[in-house]
Amino acid sequence: MRIETLNLSKIYGATKAVDDVSVSLGDEVQVLALIGPSGGGKSTFLRLLGGLEVPTAGAVKIDGSPLPRDEDALREVRRKNGFLFQSFNLFPHLTALENIVLPLVEVYGRSRAEATGRAGEVVERFRLTDHVKKQPGQLSGGQQQRIALARAMAHDPALLLLDEPTSALDPEMKAEVLDLIAELCESGQQIVLSTHEMGFAKRSADHVVFLAEGKCVEDASSATLFENPETAMVSAFLQKVMKW
Amino acid sequence: MKLFLSLTVSILLGATFCFVFWVVASHDYQWSAIAPYWKNFLNGWTTTLLISAAALVLSILIGALLTSGQLSPHRVPRWLSRAFVEIIRGTPLLTQILIGYYLIADTIGWDSRFGVGLVILSCFSAAYLAEIFRGGIESIPKSQWLSARAIGFSEFQTYRHVIIPQAIRRVLPASAGQFANLIKDSSLLFVISVHEFTMQARETNANTYATFESYLPLILGYFILTFPISLLSRHLEKRFAYEN
Repeated sequence: MRIETLNLSKIYGATKAVDDVSVSLGDEVQVLALIGPSGGGKSTFLRLLGGLEVPTAGAVKIDGSPLPRDEDALREVRRKNGFLFQSFNLFPHLTALENIVLPLVEVYGRSRAEATGRAGEVVERFRLTDHVKKQPGQLSGGQQQRIALARAMAHDPALLLLDEPTSALDPEMKAEVLDLIAELCESGQQIVLSTHEMGFAKRSADHVVFLAEGKCVEDASSATLFENPETAMVSAFLQKVMKW
Repeated sequence: MKLFLSLTVSILLGATFCFVFWVVASHDYQWSAIAPYWKNFLNGWTTTLLISAAALVLSILIGALLTSGQLSPHRVPRWLSRAFVEIIRGTPLLTQILIGYYLIADTIGWDSRFGVGLVILSCFSAAYLAEIFRGGIESIPKSQWLSARAIGFSEFQTYRHVIIPQAIRRVLPASAGQFANLIKDSSLLFVISVHEFTMQARETNANTYATFESYLPLILGYFILTFPISLLSRHLEKRFAYEN
Protein backbone atom coordinates (compact mmCIF):
# COMPACT_ATOMS: atom_id res chain seq x y z
CA MET A 1 0.00 0.00 0.00
CA ARG A 2 1.24 3.45 -0.74
CA ILE A 3 0.51 5.89 2.05
CA GLU A 4 1.58 9.50 1.88
CA THR A 5 0.80 12.28 4.27
CA LEU A 6 1.67 15.88 3.48
CA ASN A 7 1.98 18.32 6.39
CA LEU A 8 -0.90 16.49 8.02
CA SER A 9 -2.40 18.21 11.10
CA LYS A 10 -5.43 17.65 13.28
CA ILE A 11 -6.22 20.23 15.94
CA TYR A 12 -8.92 19.86 18.62
CA GLY A 13 -9.44 23.22 20.29
CA ALA A 14 -6.00 24.07 21.68
CA THR A 15 -4.60 20.55 21.30
CA LYS A 16 -2.49 19.65 18.31
CA ALA A 17 -3.25 15.92 18.21
CA VAL A 18 -1.34 15.49 14.95
CA ASP A 19 1.11 18.23 14.08
CA ASP A 20 2.53 18.64 10.60
CA VAL A 21 3.31 15.00 9.84
CA SER A 22 4.73 14.06 6.45
CA VAL A 23 5.55 10.43 5.73
CA SER A 24 5.79 8.48 2.51
CA LEU A 25 5.49 4.71 2.38
CA GLY A 26 5.80 2.55 -0.69
CA ASP A 27 4.30 -0.74 -1.84
CA GLU A 28 6.88 -2.76 0.07
CA VAL A 29 5.09 -1.85 3.31
CA GLN A 30 2.30 -4.30 4.07
CA VAL A 31 2.06 -3.85 7.84
CA LEU A 32 2.61 -0.41 9.37
CA ALA A 33 2.88 0.03 13.13
CA LEU A 34 2.35 3.34 14.91
CA ILE A 35 4.13 3.49 18.22
CA GLY A 36 4.98 6.10 20.83
CA PRO A 37 3.85 7.40 24.21
CA SER A 38 0.12 7.58 25.08
CA GLY A 39 -1.47 10.80 23.88
CA GLY A 40 1.24 11.17 21.24
CA GLY A 41 -1.19 11.17 18.31
CA LYS A 42 -1.21 7.50 17.22
CA SER A 43 -4.98 7.14 17.38
CA THR A 44 -5.71 10.39 15.59
CA PHE A 45 -3.15 9.66 12.90
CA LEU A 46 -4.68 6.23 12.34
CA ARG A 47 -8.17 7.71 12.11
CA LEU A 48 -6.97 10.30 9.61
CA LEU A 49 -5.49 7.52 7.44
CA GLY A 50 -8.75 5.57 7.58
CA GLY A 51 -11.02 8.48 6.73
CA LEU A 52 -12.67 8.63 10.15
CA GLU A 53 -11.45 12.16 10.76
CA VAL A 54 -10.99 15.12 8.44
CA PRO A 55 -7.59 16.81 8.75
CA THR A 56 -7.41 20.41 9.94
CA ALA A 57 -4.60 20.96 7.44
CA GLY A 58 -2.57 18.90 5.02
CA ALA A 59 -3.63 15.81 3.12
CA VAL A 60 -3.54 12.02 3.04
CA LYS A 61 -2.92 10.11 -0.19
CA ILE A 62 -3.67 6.40 -0.37
CA ASP A 63 -2.29 4.65 -3.46
CA GLY A 64 -1.79 8.02 -5.09
CA SER A 65 -5.30 9.40 -4.67
CA PRO A 66 -6.01 12.03 -2.00
CA LEU A 67 -8.71 11.28 0.59
CA PRO A 68 -11.80 13.44 0.08
CA ARG A 69 -12.96 15.91 2.71
CA ASP A 70 -16.75 15.69 2.49
CA GLU A 71 -18.66 13.22 4.62
CA ASP A 72 -20.43 11.27 1.85
CA ALA A 73 -17.24 10.61 -0.10
CA LEU A 74 -15.35 9.79 3.09
CA ARG A 75 -18.01 7.24 4.01
CA GLU A 76 -17.21 5.43 0.76
CA VAL A 77 -13.54 5.37 1.76
CA ARG A 78 -14.41 3.99 5.20
CA ARG A 79 -16.54 1.29 3.64
CA LYS A 80 -13.49 -0.05 1.83
CA ASN A 81 -11.58 -0.20 5.11
CA GLY A 82 -12.03 -2.27 8.27
CA PHE A 83 -11.63 -0.81 11.77
CA LEU A 84 -11.00 -2.25 15.19
CA PHE A 85 -10.82 -0.10 18.32
CA GLN A 86 -9.57 -0.64 21.85
CA SER A 87 -12.87 -1.86 23.22
CA PHE A 88 -16.62 -1.52 23.30
CA ASN A 89 -17.06 -1.46 19.59
CA LEU A 90 -19.56 -4.26 19.13
CA PHE A 91 -23.27 -3.45 19.27
CA PRO A 92 -24.43 -4.82 22.64
CA HIS A 93 -28.07 -5.37 21.65
CA LEU A 94 -27.22 -7.73 18.76
CA THR A 95 -25.81 -11.25 18.80
CA ALA A 96 -22.20 -11.74 17.73
CA LEU A 97 -23.37 -13.14 14.40
CA GLU A 98 -25.81 -10.29 13.80
CA ASN A 99 -22.98 -7.82 14.50
CA ILE A 100 -21.18 -9.26 11.46
CA VAL A 101 -24.25 -9.79 9.27
CA LEU A 102 -25.86 -6.36 9.73
CA PRO A 103 -23.11 -4.28 8.04
CA LEU A 104 -22.86 -6.78 5.17
CA VAL A 105 -26.58 -6.37 4.53
CA GLU A 106 -26.95 -2.66 5.22
CA VAL A 107 -23.65 -1.27 3.95
CA TYR A 108 -22.59 -3.73 1.27
CA GLY A 109 -26.05 -4.65 0.00
CA ARG A 110 -25.63 -8.42 0.35
CA SER A 111 -28.72 -10.57 0.76
CA ARG A 112 -29.34 -11.87 4.26
CA ALA A 113 -28.58 -15.47 3.22
CA GLU A 114 -25.36 -14.44 1.48
CA ALA A 115 -24.30 -12.31 4.45
CA THR A 116 -25.03 -15.07 6.94
CA GLY A 117 -22.98 -17.50 4.84
CA ARG A 118 -20.07 -15.08 4.64
CA ALA A 119 -20.25 -14.36 8.41
CA GLY A 120 -20.18 -18.13 9.02
CA GLU A 121 -16.98 -18.45 6.96
CA VAL A 122 -15.23 -15.67 8.87
CA VAL A 123 -16.18 -16.90 12.33
CA GLU A 124 -15.03 -20.38 11.38
CA ARG A 125 -11.70 -19.04 10.20
CA PHE A 126 -11.38 -17.13 13.48
CA ARG A 127 -12.51 -20.19 15.50
CA LEU A 128 -15.51 -18.39 16.98
CA THR A 129 -18.34 -20.62 15.77
CA ASP A 130 -19.34 -21.59 19.33
CA HIS A 131 -20.00 -18.01 20.31
CA VAL A 132 -22.03 -16.57 17.45
CA LYS A 133 -25.42 -16.84 19.16
CA LYS A 134 -24.26 -14.91 22.24
CA GLN A 135 -24.56 -11.19 22.82
CA PRO A 136 -21.31 -9.26 23.39
CA GLY A 137 -22.05 -8.91 27.12
CA GLN A 138 -21.86 -12.70 27.44
CA LEU A 139 -18.42 -12.93 25.81
CA SER A 140 -14.96 -12.39 27.29
CA GLY A 141 -13.00 -9.32 26.23
CA GLY A 142 -10.80 -11.41 23.95
CA GLN A 143 -13.77 -13.08 22.30
CA GLN A 144 -15.40 -9.68 21.79
CA GLN A 145 -12.28 -8.32 20.12
CA ARG A 146 -12.07 -11.39 17.87
CA ILE A 147 -15.71 -11.00 16.87
CA ALA A 148 -15.06 -7.31 16.19
CA LEU A 149 -12.06 -8.32 14.07
CA ALA A 150 -14.25 -10.80 12.19
CA ARG A 151 -16.71 -7.98 11.53
CA ALA A 152 -13.91 -5.73 10.28
CA MET A 153 -12.65 -8.49 7.96
CA ALA A 154 -16.00 -9.81 6.66
CA HIS A 155 -16.10 -7.50 3.63
CA ASP A 156 -12.45 -8.11 2.66
CA PRO A 157 -11.22 -4.61 3.46
CA ALA A 158 -8.48 -3.10 1.35
CA LEU A 159 -6.90 -1.71 4.51
CA LEU A 160 -7.39 -2.97 8.06
CA LEU A 161 -6.91 -0.29 10.73
CA LEU A 162 -6.37 -1.45 14.31
CA ASP A 163 -6.39 1.15 17.07
CA GLU A 164 -4.63 -0.31 20.11
CA PRO A 165 -6.53 -3.56 19.64
CA THR A 166 -5.23 -5.24 22.79
CA SER A 167 -4.79 -2.36 25.25
CA ALA A 168 -7.97 -3.16 27.18
CA LEU A 169 -7.29 -6.89 27.50
CA ASP A 170 -5.55 -9.02 30.10
CA PRO A 171 -2.39 -10.91 28.99
CA GLU A 172 -4.01 -14.21 28.02
CA MET A 173 -6.64 -12.51 25.90
CA LYS A 174 -4.01 -10.18 24.44
CA ALA A 175 -2.19 -13.25 23.19
CA GLU A 176 -5.26 -14.78 21.54
CA VAL A 177 -6.05 -11.51 19.71
CA LEU A 178 -2.41 -10.92 18.71
CA ASP A 179 -2.20 -14.48 17.34
CA LEU A 180 -5.12 -13.71 15.10
CA ILE A 181 -3.67 -10.40 13.93
CA ALA A 182 -0.33 -12.11 13.23
CA GLU A 183 -2.21 -14.63 11.08
CA LEU A 184 -3.77 -11.80 9.11
CA CYS A 185 -0.35 -10.17 8.65
CA GLU A 186 1.03 -13.43 7.26
CA SER A 187 -1.93 -13.86 4.92
CA GLY A 188 -0.94 -10.64 3.15
CA GLN A 189 -3.61 -8.33 4.58
CA GLN A 190 -2.64 -4.64 4.47
CA ILE A 191 -2.66 -3.41 8.04
CA VAL A 192 -2.06 -0.18 9.94
CA LEU A 193 -2.03 -0.62 13.70
CA SER A 194 -1.27 1.56 16.66
CA THR A 195 0.06 -0.44 19.55
CA HIS A 196 1.98 -0.59 22.79
CA GLU A 197 3.04 -4.19 22.09
CA MET A 198 6.63 -3.54 21.02
CA GLY A 199 7.46 -7.22 20.59
CA PHE A 200 4.56 -7.61 18.23
CA ALA A 201 5.41 -4.45 16.27
CA LYS A 202 9.02 -5.55 15.94
CA ARG A 203 8.10 -9.01 14.69
CA SER A 204 5.07 -8.34 12.48
CA ALA A 205 5.42 -4.81 11.12
CA ASP A 206 7.46 -3.92 8.05
CA HIS A 207 7.59 -0.27 8.91
CA VAL A 208 7.22 1.77 12.07
CA VAL A 209 6.24 5.40 12.63
CA PHE A 210 7.06 6.84 16.06
CA LEU A 211 4.74 9.66 17.10
CA ALA A 212 5.12 11.90 20.15
CA GLU A 213 3.27 15.13 20.94
CA GLY A 214 1.65 14.92 17.53
CA LYS A 215 4.96 14.94 15.67
CA CYS A 216 6.56 12.17 13.68
CA VAL A 217 9.82 11.68 15.56
CA GLU A 218 11.12 8.84 13.44
CA ASP A 219 9.88 6.63 10.65
CA ALA A 220 11.89 3.68 9.46
CA SER A 221 11.73 0.03 8.67
CA SER A 222 10.95 -2.09 11.68
CA ALA A 223 14.43 -3.61 11.78
CA THR A 224 16.16 -0.22 11.63
CA LEU A 225 13.97 1.52 14.17
CA PHE A 226 14.13 -1.21 16.79
CA GLU A 227 17.82 -2.04 16.33
CA ASN A 228 19.35 1.35 15.56
CA PRO A 229 16.99 4.17 16.53
CA GLU A 230 18.26 7.51 15.25
CA THR A 231 16.97 9.82 17.94
CA ALA A 232 17.65 9.83 21.66
CA MET A 233 13.91 10.04 22.32
CA VAL A 234 13.05 6.79 20.51
CA SER A 235 16.02 5.02 21.97
CA ALA A 236 15.04 6.10 25.51
CA PHE A 237 11.42 5.09 24.91
CA LEU A 238 12.38 1.66 23.61
CA GLN A 239 14.78 1.06 26.46
CA LYS A 240 12.07 1.93 28.93
CA VAL A 241 9.27 -0.17 27.45
CA MET A 242 11.44 -3.12 26.41
CA LYS A 243 13.14 -3.31 29.81
CA TRP A 244 10.56 -5.67 31.25
CA MET B 1 -29.69 -2.86 58.57
CA LYS B 2 -31.30 -4.53 55.56
CA LEU B 3 -33.62 -6.49 57.85
CA PHE B 4 -34.48 -3.33 59.75
CA LEU B 5 -35.37 -1.50 56.52
CA SER B 6 -37.43 -4.41 55.20
CA LEU B 7 -39.31 -4.59 58.47
CA THR B 8 -39.93 -0.83 58.64
CA VAL B 9 -41.21 -0.70 55.07
CA SER B 10 -43.45 -3.72 55.60
CA ILE B 11 -44.94 -2.36 58.82
CA LEU B 12 -45.47 1.20 57.54
CA LEU B 13 -47.01 0.20 54.22
CA GLY B 14 -48.99 -2.70 55.73
CA ALA B 15 -50.48 -0.43 58.38
CA THR B 16 -51.31 2.25 55.80
CA PHE B 17 -53.05 -0.26 53.52
CA CYS B 18 -55.06 -1.70 56.44
CA PHE B 19 -56.10 1.71 57.73
CA VAL B 20 -57.19 3.04 54.34
CA PHE B 21 -59.01 -0.18 53.53
CA TRP B 22 -60.79 -0.12 56.89
CA VAL B 23 -61.90 3.52 56.45
CA VAL B 24 -63.10 2.95 52.90
CA ALA B 25 -64.80 -0.35 53.69
CA SER B 26 -66.55 0.78 56.86
CA HIS B 27 -68.28 3.75 55.24
CA ASP B 28 -72.04 3.40 54.88
CA TYR B 29 -72.50 3.51 51.11
CA GLN B 30 -75.72 4.27 49.26
CA TRP B 31 -74.87 2.62 45.95
CA SER B 32 -78.52 2.72 44.90
CA ALA B 33 -78.20 6.51 44.64
CA ILE B 34 -75.75 6.36 41.73
CA ALA B 35 -77.01 3.14 40.16
CA PRO B 36 -79.19 4.93 37.58
CA TYR B 37 -76.05 6.68 36.28
CA TRP B 38 -74.04 3.55 35.43
CA LYS B 39 -74.34 4.19 31.72
CA ASN B 40 -72.83 7.66 32.10
CA PHE B 41 -69.87 6.14 33.93
CA LEU B 42 -69.37 3.59 31.18
CA ASN B 43 -69.56 6.26 28.47
CA GLY B 44 -67.14 8.46 30.38
CA TRP B 45 -64.73 5.59 30.88
CA THR B 46 -64.87 4.74 27.16
CA THR B 47 -64.20 8.38 26.27
CA THR B 48 -61.19 8.42 28.61
CA LEU B 49 -59.93 5.19 27.04
CA LEU B 50 -60.34 6.53 23.50
CA ILE B 51 -58.82 9.93 24.10
CA SER B 52 -55.92 8.43 26.07
CA ALA B 53 -55.16 5.79 23.44
CA ALA B 54 -55.24 8.36 20.63
CA ALA B 55 -53.19 10.86 22.65
CA LEU B 56 -50.66 8.16 23.45
CA VAL B 57 -49.98 7.51 19.76
CA LEU B 58 -50.05 11.19 18.83
CA SER B 59 -47.77 12.16 21.73
CA ILE B 60 -45.18 9.59 20.68
CA LEU B 61 -45.17 11.08 17.18
CA ILE B 62 -44.96 14.69 18.36
CA GLY B 63 -42.42 13.70 21.03
CA ALA B 64 -40.20 12.02 18.43
CA LEU B 65 -40.46 15.11 16.24
CA LEU B 66 -39.48 17.39 19.14
CA THR B 67 -36.55 15.11 19.97
CA SER B 68 -35.29 15.21 16.41
CA GLY B 69 -35.66 18.99 16.53
CA GLN B 70 -33.58 19.19 19.70
CA LEU B 71 -30.87 16.95 18.25
CA SER B 72 -30.79 18.85 14.95
CA PRO B 73 -27.46 20.33 13.85
CA HIS B 74 -29.33 23.52 12.89
CA ARG B 75 -30.07 26.23 15.41
CA VAL B 76 -33.61 27.20 14.45
CA PRO B 77 -35.32 23.81 14.95
CA ARG B 78 -33.23 23.28 18.06
CA TRP B 79 -34.34 26.55 19.64
CA LEU B 80 -37.97 26.15 18.61
CA SER B 81 -38.20 22.61 19.98
CA ARG B 82 -36.47 23.68 23.16
CA ALA B 83 -38.89 26.61 23.57
CA PHE B 84 -41.92 24.35 23.00
CA VAL B 85 -40.71 21.81 25.55
CA GLU B 86 -39.84 24.43 28.18
CA ILE B 87 -43.10 26.37 27.83
CA ILE B 88 -45.30 23.25 27.94
CA ARG B 89 -43.42 21.71 30.85
CA GLY B 90 -43.27 24.97 32.75
CA THR B 91 -46.98 25.89 32.70
CA PRO B 92 -50.10 24.19 34.12
CA LEU B 93 -52.04 21.83 31.88
CA LEU B 94 -55.28 23.42 33.06
CA THR B 95 -54.21 26.79 31.63
CA GLN B 96 -53.06 25.18 28.40
CA ILE B 97 -56.45 23.53 27.96
CA LEU B 98 -58.32 26.79 28.59
CA ILE B 99 -56.12 28.88 26.28
CA GLY B 100 -55.98 26.12 23.69
CA TYR B 101 -59.73 25.74 23.51
CA TYR B 102 -61.16 29.21 24.20
CA LEU B 103 -58.45 31.24 22.43
CA ILE B 104 -56.55 29.24 19.84
CA ALA B 105 -59.15 26.70 18.69
CA ASP B 106 -61.81 29.42 18.77
CA THR B 107 -59.71 31.69 16.55
CA ILE B 108 -59.30 29.04 13.87
CA GLY B 109 -62.96 28.06 14.25
CA TRP B 110 -62.44 24.51 15.52
CA ASP B 111 -65.05 23.59 18.12
CA SER B 112 -64.65 19.82 18.57
CA ARG B 113 -64.03 19.53 22.32
CA PHE B 114 -62.79 15.98 21.93
CA GLY B 115 -60.45 16.92 19.05
CA VAL B 116 -59.01 20.01 20.72
CA GLY B 117 -58.65 18.16 24.01
CA LEU B 118 -56.84 15.35 22.25
CA VAL B 119 -54.35 17.70 20.58
CA ILE B 120 -53.61 19.67 23.76
CA LEU B 121 -53.18 16.53 25.83
CA SER B 122 -50.88 15.05 23.18
CA CYS B 123 -48.72 18.18 23.02
CA PHE B 124 -48.49 18.26 26.80
CA SER B 125 -47.41 14.65 27.05
CA ALA B 126 -45.12 14.97 24.02
CA ALA B 127 -43.04 17.64 25.76
CA TYR B 128 -42.28 15.21 28.58
CA LEU B 129 -41.69 12.29 26.20
CA ALA B 130 -39.31 14.43 24.12
CA GLU B 131 -37.08 14.93 27.15
CA ILE B 132 -37.21 11.22 27.98
CA PHE B 133 -36.34 10.27 24.38
CA ARG B 134 -33.53 12.82 24.18
CA GLY B 135 -32.05 11.59 27.45
CA GLY B 136 -32.21 8.01 26.19
CA ILE B 137 -30.49 8.80 22.90
CA GLU B 138 -27.81 10.95 24.53
CA SER B 139 -27.07 8.19 27.06
CA ILE B 140 -25.79 5.84 24.35
CA PRO B 141 -21.97 5.94 24.54
CA LYS B 142 -20.05 7.87 21.89
CA SER B 143 -18.10 4.70 21.12
CA GLN B 144 -21.24 3.29 19.48
CA TRP B 145 -21.36 6.26 17.10
CA LEU B 146 -17.67 5.86 16.29
CA SER B 147 -18.13 2.17 15.67
CA ALA B 148 -21.13 2.75 13.39
CA ARG B 149 -19.25 5.45 11.48
CA ALA B 150 -16.26 3.15 11.04
CA ILE B 151 -18.52 0.44 9.61
CA GLY B 152 -19.76 2.94 7.06
CA PHE B 153 -23.27 3.47 8.37
CA SER B 154 -24.96 6.72 7.42
CA GLU B 155 -26.45 8.83 10.19
CA PHE B 156 -29.89 7.40 9.45
CA GLN B 157 -28.62 3.81 9.53
CA THR B 158 -26.82 4.52 12.80
CA TYR B 159 -30.01 5.79 14.43
CA ARG B 160 -32.11 2.98 13.03
CA HIS B 161 -29.86 -0.02 13.73
CA VAL B 162 -27.65 1.09 16.60
CA ILE B 163 -28.89 4.04 18.64
CA ILE B 164 -32.68 3.71 18.73
CA PRO B 165 -32.84 -0.03 19.53
CA GLN B 166 -30.56 0.55 22.51
CA ALA B 167 -32.31 3.75 23.55
CA ILE B 168 -35.74 2.06 23.54
CA ARG B 169 -34.67 -0.22 26.36
CA ARG B 170 -33.51 2.75 28.39
CA VAL B 171 -36.56 4.97 27.88
CA LEU B 172 -39.22 2.30 28.47
CA PRO B 173 -39.69 2.66 32.25
CA ALA B 174 -39.89 6.46 32.15
CA SER B 175 -42.15 6.43 29.09
CA ALA B 176 -44.55 3.99 30.74
CA GLY B 177 -44.76 6.36 33.70
CA GLN B 178 -45.53 9.23 31.35
CA PHE B 179 -48.29 7.20 29.61
CA ALA B 180 -49.93 6.53 32.98
CA ASN B 181 -49.72 10.28 33.71
CA LEU B 182 -51.31 11.00 30.36
CA ILE B 183 -54.34 8.85 31.23
CA LYS B 184 -54.78 10.56 34.58
CA ASP B 185 -54.17 14.03 33.13
CA SER B 186 -57.03 13.50 30.68
CA SER B 187 -59.32 14.05 33.69
CA LEU B 188 -58.56 17.80 33.45
CA LEU B 189 -60.40 17.97 30.14
CA PHE B 190 -63.61 18.45 32.18
CA VAL B 191 -62.86 22.22 32.09
CA ILE B 192 -63.82 22.28 28.44
CA SER B 193 -66.70 19.84 29.02
CA VAL B 194 -65.24 16.77 27.38
CA HIS B 195 -67.50 14.07 28.78
CA GLU B 196 -64.74 11.83 30.05
CA PHE B 197 -64.71 9.62 33.14
CA THR B 198 -64.02 12.26 35.82
CA MET B 199 -66.58 14.65 34.31
CA GLN B 200 -69.25 11.97 34.65
CA ALA B 201 -68.33 11.41 38.29
CA ARG B 202 -68.59 15.16 38.98
CA GLU B 203 -71.98 15.35 37.31
CA THR B 204 -73.25 12.31 39.17
CA ASN B 205 -72.09 13.86 42.41
CA ALA B 206 -73.83 17.14 41.58
CA ASN B 207 -77.07 15.31 40.88
CA THR B 208 -77.08 12.88 43.79
CA TYR B 209 -74.88 14.43 46.50
CA ALA B 210 -73.50 10.87 46.91
CA THR B 211 -69.88 12.04 46.89
CA PHE B 212 -67.99 8.88 47.78
CA GLU B 213 -70.21 6.69 45.66
CA SER B 214 -69.62 9.00 42.67
CA TYR B 215 -65.85 9.26 42.99
CA LEU B 216 -64.87 5.77 44.16
CA PRO B 217 -65.48 4.14 40.75
CA LEU B 218 -62.72 6.42 39.40
CA ILE B 219 -60.11 4.49 41.38
CA LEU B 220 -61.01 1.21 39.77
CA GLY B 221 -61.64 2.71 36.33
CA TYR B 222 -58.27 4.52 36.07
CA PHE B 223 -56.34 1.64 37.57
CA ILE B 224 -57.75 -0.76 34.96
CA LEU B 225 -56.27 1.58 32.33
CA THR B 226 -52.87 2.29 33.89
CA PHE B 227 -51.96 -1.12 35.29
CA PRO B 228 -51.72 -2.93 31.90
CA ILE B 229 -49.28 -0.22 30.74
CA SER B 230 -47.06 -0.99 33.68
CA LEU B 231 -47.25 -4.74 32.88
CA LEU B 232 -46.58 -4.19 29.18
CA SER B 233 -43.57 -2.01 29.95
CA ARG B 234 -42.02 -4.72 32.11
CA HIS B 235 -42.64 -7.29 29.42
CA LEU B 236 -41.01 -5.08 26.77
CA GLU B 237 -38.06 -4.30 29.03
CA LYS B 238 -37.32 -8.01 29.15
CA ARG B 239 -37.73 -8.37 25.41
CA PHE B 240 -35.30 -5.56 24.62
CA ALA B 241 -32.89 -6.54 27.40
CA TYR B 242 -29.21 -7.03 26.67
CA GLU B 243 -26.20 -7.36 28.93
CA ASN B 244 -23.85 -4.45 29.07
